[in-house]
Amino acid sequence: MILRPTRDDLKLIAWGIGRVILGIGLIMLVPLAVAVVSTEWITVLDFLVGITACVTFWLIMENTCRVRGRDLTWSHGLVVASAGWLVAMLFGAIPHFLSGHFKAYLDACFDLMSGYTTTGLIMIQDLDHVSHGLNMWRHLLTYAGGQGIIVIALTFLFAGTAGAFKIYVSEGKEEQLLPNVVRTARAIWMISLTYLVVGSTLIYISLLWEGMPAGRGLLHSVWLFMGAWSTGGFAPQNLNLLYYHSLFVELATMLIFIIGSFNFALHYAVWTRRRTEIWKNIEIRSFTITSMIATFMLAIGFSKMEVYTTLTEFFRKGYYNLISGHTTTGNSTIFSTSFYKEFGFIAMWAITLAMAIGASACSTGGGFKGLRMGIVTKSLWGDIKTLVSPESAVVREKVHHVRDIWLDDALVKGTMLVMLSYVFIYAVGGLLGVIYGYQPSVAFFDAASAGSNTGLSAGLTTPLMPALLKVWYIIEMWAGRLEFMSVFALFGMSAAMIIGRGKKTRLLKGRR
Amino acid sequence: MATRREKGLRQGLPALVPLCALLIALAGVLVGPARADDTVQVSQLVKDMRKYDGKVVTIHGEAIGDVMVRGTYAWITVNDDRYSKKSIEESGELIGMSNSGIGVWVLERDTRDIKIYGGYKNKGAEVRLTGVFNRACHEHGGDTDIHATSLEVLKPGYPFSHPFPYDKLLTVVLLTCAIGLLWYWRGIKSKRYAKQE
Repeated sequence: MILRPTRDDLKLIAWGIGRVILGIGLIMLVPLAVAVVSTEWITVLDFLVGITACVTFWLIMENTCRVRGRDLTWSHGLVVASAGWLVAMLFGAIPHFLSGHFKAYLDACFDLMSGYTTTGLIMIQDLDHVSHGLNMWRHLLTYAGGQGIIVIALTFLFAGTAGAFKIYVSEGKEEQLLPNVVRTARAIWMISLTYLVVGSTLIYISLLWEGMPAGRGLLHSVWLFMGAWSTGGFAPQNLNLLYYHSLFVELATMLIFIIGSFNFALHYAVWTRRRTEIWKNIEIRSFTITSMIATFMLAIGFSKMEVYTTLTEFFRKGYYNLISGHTTTGNSTIFSTSFYKEFGFIAMWAITLAMAIGASACSTGGGFKGLRMGIVTKSLWGDIKTLVSPESAVVREKVHHVRDIWLDDALVKGTMLVMLSYVFIYAVGGLLGVIYGYQPSVAFFDAASAGSNTGLSAGLTTPLMPALLKVWYIIEMWAGRLEFMSVFALFGMSAAMIIGRGKKTRLLKGRR
Repeated sequence: MATRREKGLRQGLPALVPLCALLIALAGVLVGPARADDTVQVSQLVKDMRKYDGKVVTIHGEAIGDVMVRGTYAWITVNDDRYSKKSIEESGELIGMSNSGIGVWVLERDTRDIKIYGGYKNKGAEVRLTGVFNRACHEHGGDTDIHATSLEVLKPGYPFSHPFPYDKLLTVVLLTCAIGLLWYWRGIKSKRYAKQE
């Protein structure tokens, strides 16, 4: 029997979302400060409107939806995470839209979801004339989104509530680095902030070496770090990484997005001196194997096209974009049309597949994830071994991810469900593109890019693309980033509100 | 008295004038300095990279972003989209696309005439440059670029004047008032709850 959520359930969810939105308002203080320092007064007003709108929403939720004596349950947590991202998109898009660089609010929402989910596809127009404040907001939201906007809310606003862990897990992060989830969220921030200082310095030195002016170079280095670390792929100029014409900047960003695509649990293991984890971890092994296969395909494709002929060109134009795609970053060193005009069919599909597979679980990246690829591959290997073993033999497989995990049917089934969900959104996005008249290679490339939160584009994603495709890509980015479970919960709750039974039943008792 | 030959020449000369003018104009187009109508759009270059690869092209647009000096040469970026003529920051129209520009490898001394590069606060200098288009430049790791042989600043850059948006200020004031009222209400509710407990 499906139970209809009560008014208290809905109020609790709205209260949780209110806190998430307050978190978004607080993050806007950073671009506001940048706009003030840069004397961009109109941008200052844009952010003041955004911040006051967020605070107003939070206060309305606090005053009308707070349920004393009750805490969030698993169901609430899942819905707060999934719906929270959608509402955060609507509020975060306010400064974007007010900047005047978007034709419609839908376009501003598209860029917001692209930023939060660390995708990197853009609808912004005339990017090269955008203010420092707005550029800081674009990059900061992708950096914050990489850690998870729920993680942000947890870090500051949910301290002390038992329901915190439930919404933490609902955001697609199953790893708990420390016994307390709030401390886990803070550990994630500590890791990211340390890398922010080190990575930005590395890029800054590279930019100065390459002749970039010191002042703008500082801002660009922070923005490029945020775009790379979060595997978002945003850059402050329209030409993305091609703007800098620099091998050093490409090497620095590549190093950062590879590290950024690793699981936070792996980072924590290495930080706590368990360095052997790097070699044993299933995700690292999976990433190494799939990237080698994709590189081989890329080399075959390039040898056929004969455009990029030297090793340096293969590295800077081929391998860089391949790894950028595989880590679901989206930083690019070529014009988007080059993917289908200069790369050719094989190389383009190598990148499409790498994007679809994606990065590590509980990282800033998207896609199937290395862990799932490892589980499915090991499971298949186990099945093959069972077939060739004596009937009495018991074959069990395990994967190593921080600890040894034995594979059972439930785990493999759950993994397959998520992977099939990814295939479904890629396929629907690709088919929609084909129906609208785009080339199949281009349509599936951009659909896989959106669903895996990569951000590379073969030229389809522009403000002129059909509105339905924009909406579908927003859904792809959102569902792909949350790894579906929270999204299923939201749909489930919506269905329960319509067809559920029992006016006074609660979803789950959550009294402390 | 003019001979028949002289008469013939006098009658034929007017007819030769437009022909000569046409020839001179053609020669000017073929060997003279680049004119605005010779220019190629960057979007066209990117669309037909194979066609223009290794060819001398002329582009005309706005110097944008930064100059990055590398020894005696420098990298600049030139946009020639509609925003390079009238940016959104100058109340330009939204045309449904982002910028269209290309990196240009140019002698550093040629860039000294560009005083202002385009950005949020400024319209960059309007330049016309001629150079060799490279689909995958072997000198620069496969970059798609133009190696400029000449650069001319047609119009200096200038700062944009942003009109003050009073409507946004009013929105901030109204929302701040709403926050004040909601905060007051929250205080009353908290006190009531504390009493109940």
